[in-house]
Amino acid sequence: MNTNTAVVSDSESLPAEDLPGDFAIWIFILAEMLVFGVMFIVYAFARAHQLEVFNASQLTLNRGLGTLNTIILITSSYFVVRSVAAIKVNNAQQSVRWLLGALALGAMFIAVKLWEFNEKFSAGITLETNDFYMYYLTLTSFHLMHVLMGVIILGCVVFKLNKGDYTATEHFGVETGASFWHMVDLLWIVLFPLVYIIH
Amino acid sequence: MMNKPINHFSTRIWLILVALTILTFCIGEEVAQGKAVMLSVLAIAFIKGQLIANYFMGLRHVSWLWRGIIMGYFMVVGGMIAIAYLTA
Repeated sequence: MNTNTAVVSDSESLPAEDLPGDFAIWIFILAEMLVFGVMFIVYAFARAHQLEVFNASQLTLNRGLGTLNTIILITSSYFVVRSVAAIKVNNAQQSVRWLLGALALGAMFIAVKLWEFNEKFSAGITLETNDFYMYYLTLTSFHLMHVLMGVIILGCVVFKLNKGDYTATEHFGVETGASFWHMVDLLWIVLFPLVYIIH
Repeated sequence: MMNKPINHFSTRIWLILVALTILTFCIGEEVAQGKAVMLSVLAIAFIKGQLIANYFMGLRHVSWLWRGIIMGYFMVVGGMIAIAYLTA
């Protein structure tokens, strides 16, 4: 009886694992989320003051491309999960393959976004057209910069994986890069419905 | 072999996320959205955020504090957005 109780309480009090990757990246992630969070809220309240302008302008956005980019980012995040799982069993080659897939999707996200921007600029839309487009262009291009940064970080991880710097026991850098990439995905999860969908 | 169940599970999470994204797109095609629709889209974003944080970022294995921070973030930001839309 007493032994059983001891076993149960032992398993329940198992210490939680450490955060994946470098602790510093989590502070950076929180800071970035805070900045984006404030911008999302500012957008929502700015919209409340110019409902007609925001609703009419939002309808001109290409929701299909927005959805495509969401699926691209989610899939790239999934590839990164698989890459981390691969290095945890010491399969560096597989880990590189998954990351190269994620990088290709990251490049695809950037290409789709630039295509979308080109559509808008060709239609004569700029930051000064109205407040909706100012927020849309600012928020999405700021996010795009984070995608670019993520691509560079994942590229560095691939380089180090190829050099044999990461193993099943030492893959801190892979987890750090993965955490940043997932944050980019997490931010888009809010940005996409806010700017493209709800009105 | 050891990582197979984890991978399999992450595949399910990915499929759920893609399905929720397509659902969000379909809702977005509805031009005349009501407040309930807006709240539903925000709820879907909340679920997607939790799935990414817990299963892709791996926060379900770490201290509850970190899961709480991410959940709190989505509740505060999502809540403020909802208030702005409901009072517009």
